[in-house]
Amino acid sequence: MAKRGIEKQLNILDYALSSLWRRRTKNLSILLVFSAVIFLVASFLMVSKALSDRAGQLLVAAPEITVQRMSAGRQEAIPLAHGERLQGIFGIRRVVPRVWGYYFDEVTGANFTVLGVDPLQMPGGDGLATALARGRLPEEGEAGMVVVGQGVVETLALENRQLFSLFRPDLSLKTLTVSGEFAKETGIMTADLLLMHPAEARDLFLIAPGFATDLCISVANSREIETIARKIAELLPDCRVLTRPQIQKTYQVVFGWRSGFASICLLSAVAAFIILAWDKASGLAPEERREIAILKVLGWETADVLAVRFWEACLVSGLAFLLGMLSAFAHVLFFSAFLFRPILLGWSVLAPGLSLVPALALGDFLLLAAFTVLPYLAATVIPAWRSATVPADSALGG
Amino acid sequence: MSAIIRCENLVKSYPADTRPVSAVANVNLVVEREDFLVILGHSGSGKTTLLSLIGGLTAPDSGTVLVDGVENWQQGDQALSVMRNSRIGFIFQFASLIPTLTVMENILLPLSFSQRPAGSRDLAEEILAQVGLADKAGSLPAQLSGGQQRRIAIARAFINCPDIILADEPTGDLDEETERDILQLFRRYNKNGVTFIVVTHNSELAASQERARVLMMRQGVLTEQDGEAGVAHA
Repeated sequence: MAKRGIEKQLNILDYALSSLWRRRTKNLSILLVFSAVIFLVASFLMVSKALSDRAGQLLVAAPEITVQRMSAGRQEAIPLAHGERLQGIFGIRRVVPRVWGYYFDEVTGANFTVLGVDPLQMPGGDGLATALARGRLPEEGEAGMVVVGQGVVETLALENRQLFSLFRPDLSLKTLTVSGEFAKETGIMTADLLLMHPAEARDLFLIAPGFATDLCISVANSREIETIARKIAELLPDCRVLTRPQIQKTYQVVFGWRSGFASICLLSAVAAFIILAWDKASGLAPEERREIAILKVLGWETADVLAVRFWEACLVSGLAFLLGMLSAFAHVLFFSAFLFRPILLGWSVLAPGLSLVPALALGDFLLLAAFTVLPYLAATVIPAWRSATVPADSALGG
Repeated sequence: MSAIIRCENLVKSYPADTRPVSAVANVNLVVEREDFLVILGHSGSGKTTLLSLIGGLTAPDSGTVLVDGVENWQQGDQALSVMRNSRIGFIFQFASLIPTLTVMENILLPLSFSQRPAGSRDLAEEILAQVGLADKAGSLPAQLSGGQQRRIAIARAFINCPDIILADEPTGDLDEETERDILQLFRRYNKNGVTFIVVTHNSELAASQERARVLMMRQGVLTEQDGEAGVAHA
């Protein structure tokens, strides 16, 4: 009995395969369109997840609390004396002044991020050396030394030279020497980065000694971040206090907004495909209805007809899903998701040259399958079921 | 001989704009094993509907169809399908081949789900030769004429060695010579124990069979040739 059942299923599968082959042009077209839709949605989900994960990893090294002075709603330089006032708050381990700004290079049209900070004073700053592809971090007292990101290296053509100059606001030139380069893997955060000592950054931006753009604060107990942030805000009412969780959330929101926007566009494509599939499948062609009727007249059961259609749909949608997922994986891993980078990373002149590791949450995987494979199965099997349950004598004619 | 098919008070009508059209009206029919029953009638007289009811393709509004004492519509879909697959060979009014299958694949189609005997391909080739199309096994239906397609459909009806053949205008598209060959083939199968129910408007078909029994169908009513309505019995 079981052997008979297996033999029957094999016959059904055999018929389904030959049926797919007989309509190979139509099925191949569906397969390609279906794969393309899955490829787009899957690679988008993969790249947004990979970027979000990468940003999350890198932000672990961000200061737990950042304090910036505000005046008339705009950020201003903060006196280092503010940092000394904060030392009295219990729970603060260290206050490190930082000079952080942007430098627009008119020649290349690129915007560099300038970060003036003593890495050794930053918590975990000694570990920053591991983010370097070559060279070393500037040491205290070394004038004009800078570590640059890969985007800066390419933009300023620093591959074969170490000296370059930037303009101060008064148009005098400040000469810098490359002491190291950040690794490509950290590109999402460092591609456009110039890391130097605060004194060098002050000199570049002509910020007065005794001032910084913000204060980076590390705390003894990370669970106290919010409490300490509140105390700082009370002590320095002219300052904005940002916590690391807030910054992480902001990144997530930015990625979330961008990926959400693109997701809507892509889901529209999925919806269009489903509607098309439904339209195609719900109105079975007369020859398909006739075929079902003939099969029933020849002794096929309604369940057999449905099984054939089910296998056909499973094979097409399963293969399309596999093809789409594999190409999405390759697109993200080997081609750095070139189709979606501008959307997710912005159209920066210095696009970070980072390599992405494709990632997809199980929920997203299942959601994608639910939104693509299941509707296609339904769009194929339900009309066949409707045709198979009407009397088969229509095939007799007359 | 025992009755292989028994129809009792069979009624079937189809919905129409104003009132239902009666296709089969209170038909009683007994068909003995090895009968060759010819039902004559004009187009629209209900012949095809009667075949559908006997073959279990459509359900009657009332009445019963018994094949070997088993009521068709008291069986489930599975049993009815098995009955159609293993006991009945259908010859449709139109060729009804699957256009994307080759001639050989079309002929073997009824055997897809039965335990295909080892020599089924040989049998298919033999039947194909009997209908005069031995060289067309690999052709697609579109490459054949209407008459050739009809002969393929006839060959397909015999592949599962059925007890009963239900044929709807089986010689409609055939030339005289092919028609003669096909009717001879029918005669041979009939002599070997196959029961035939053939509906046609061709009165000469009945004359070609040695032991044909002829009934008339008019507006859904089945009568003996002499015009008496009611139970049609050999």
